Amino acid sequence: MTAIELRGVTKEFADVTAVRGLDLTVEEGEVYGFLGPNGAGKSTTIDMVLDLVRPTEGTVRVLGRDATADGVSIRQRTGVLPDGFAVYDRLTGRQHVEFAVRSKEADDDPDDLLDRVGLLGDADRKAGGYSKGMRQRLALAMALAGDPDLLILDEPSSGLDPAGAKEMREIVRTEADRGATVFFSSHILEQVEAVCDRVGILRAGELVAEDSVEGLREAVGGEETLEIAIAGGANGASEAGGAGDAAVDAVRDLDGVSRVDRDGDALVVSCADGAKTRVIGALEDAGVAVADFHTREASLEDLFLAYTEGDAPGEEREGGSDDDAADAEEVDR
Amino acid sequence: MSLPAIAEKDFHDTVRSRGMLILVALFSLLVAVFAYVFAPPGEQFATEFLLSAAVGPFLVTTLVPLVGVVVGYNAVSGERESGSLKLLLSLPHSRADVVFGKVVGRGAALSLAVFSGFLLPALVLLALSQLGYIQAFNVGSYLGYTVFAAVLGVVFVAIATGCSAAASTQRRALIGGVAIYVLFVMLWGAVTGQFLNAAGDAGLLNPLPVSQQQIGVFLQVANPITGVELLSNAFLSGRLFSGEVVNHQVSAVSMLVFWTIAPPLVGLWKFDADDL
Repeated sequence: MTAIELRGVTKEFADVTAVRGLDLTVEEGEVYGFLGPNGAGKSTTIDMVLDLVRPTEGTVRVLGRDATADGVSIRQRTGVLPDGFAVYDRLTGRQHVEFAVRSKEADDDPDDLLDRVGLLGDADRKAGGYSKGMRQRLALAMALAGDPDLLILDEPSSGLDPAGAKEMREIVRTEADRGATVFFSSHILEQVEAVCDRVGILRAGELVAEDSVEGLREAVGGEETLEIAIAGGANGASEAGGAGDAAVDAVRDLDGVSRVDRDGDALVVSCADGAKTRVIGALEDAGVAVADFHTREASLEDLFLAYTEGDAPGEEREGGSDDDAADAEEVDR
Repeated sequence: MSLPAIAEKDFHDTVRSRGMLILVALFSLLVAVFAYVFAPPGEQFATEFLLSAAVGPFLVTTLVPLVGVVVGYNAVSGERESGSLKLLLSLPHSRADVVFGKVVGRGAALSLAVFSGFLLPALVLLALSQLGYIQAFNVGSYLGYTVFAAVLGVVFVAIATGCSAAASTQRRALIGGVAIYVLFVMLWGAVTGQFLNAAGDAGLLNPLPVSQQQIGVFLQVANPITGVELLSNAFLSGRLFSGEVVNHQVSAVSMLVFWTIAPPLVGLWKFDADDL
């Protein structure tokens, strides 16, 4: 049986088509990462799975049942961490979890659930005083009530610090090992990479890619990114203080090189596996002194951008994502 | 069946609001003031008179509907706007459970406020009558009347909750709540009178086997406030469901049931079809 099955699903709101002809299948027992930039239609899709929003066209089946007709029995077996939710300010954390356990007719001990998400110490505080991350943990504890067959987590890491995000991943793993299907959306890619069996990338309401993380990497061409630090000073450097235009052009003309970017004193070269030596050779031939170089595997972030940027209208992520990539490198070093 | 779970949660949530405490204090204070004004020490004190002539017209028929609207108008739309509705509907609850669970939970919370608000002055009155400062304080009448006040509150909670379920924003729900209050408390006679005259002039009433006057009486008791007034006065004078106007009382009871069920149903009908 499939855990989630969308067939030809379209959702039109008054002024925008949020999802367009979407086919999506999540098999039972898998961990599925649902990716896409903000506004791609991820939340609308999840809302349709949860029957908060009804599709204009197409069918949504969850755990073998129709999402609209059997919403209650579906949610009996589903744990949901919604996005953009609010807690009941005047009720304590424990009261929230008790309510979830009771609603699902489960027999969990609320304290066990609170302990799993690290909230036991704050269980008797009113949830109105919780931080964003604590609210997120609280909703996760509610989602875990009743050992659900399907966990749907919408942007689960938002508001969590790195340690919290790691705990979230561990909980996802534990639930998957127990046999639960996990479907979660994210725009934070490292997390998807770490836990997902399969990812789907949504762009402007359409699924543009769906595969395992390795499969996606291969699909993008198995390229490597080569970062070359150029020695400064007179030797081989142009007046701009880096590799000269001639050198850059020489590298760009090489076989197997798809892209060359200048980044201050460094060159960032996207090239096929075998082209590394030739790139270094060409630079040295052009009189450029290579101070240091290293390669990095195409990250999921690169894959993601390859799928989601392209010629999509209204995308303005270029600047921001380059900065992110630079930050990531720094961490690597 | 998850309605009880929602009702219980909403009850806990509502009774913990600061507004509830203020409400209880306000009720107590006003009842006490009326008791003082209408029963100077040493003179004759009639529980029934206090309730039907003072507490009824000045407190119950104006303040209780207001409180009911305030408690109910944000029942669904407030959660929808804040986002807690997402948390609620991520659990196995139907939207019908949500709307009717809210009516039950908030109705119960308001009843609790009415009972506590009336109980504190009652204890004082009881003590005074025991000490001989006032003549017999009729506990039965007083408690019975409190039930009618609570019923009226619950009816308004139901009407306002239905409006809240139908409203897509908190703002609309607020406008709806104000409209409900103005209609039932201030304009009911005028509106139904106009309606009845227009219908009568147009000859629409001729095929009906009742007179225009009978319809007028029915429309009067169709207002839950008038209905509760009618029933509570009959109760205080010992003529509940007896005497020649028993048919008015039956109409009043049926209309109270109607107002408790129909508005939430209409609200649910809209709420159920909405994208949240």
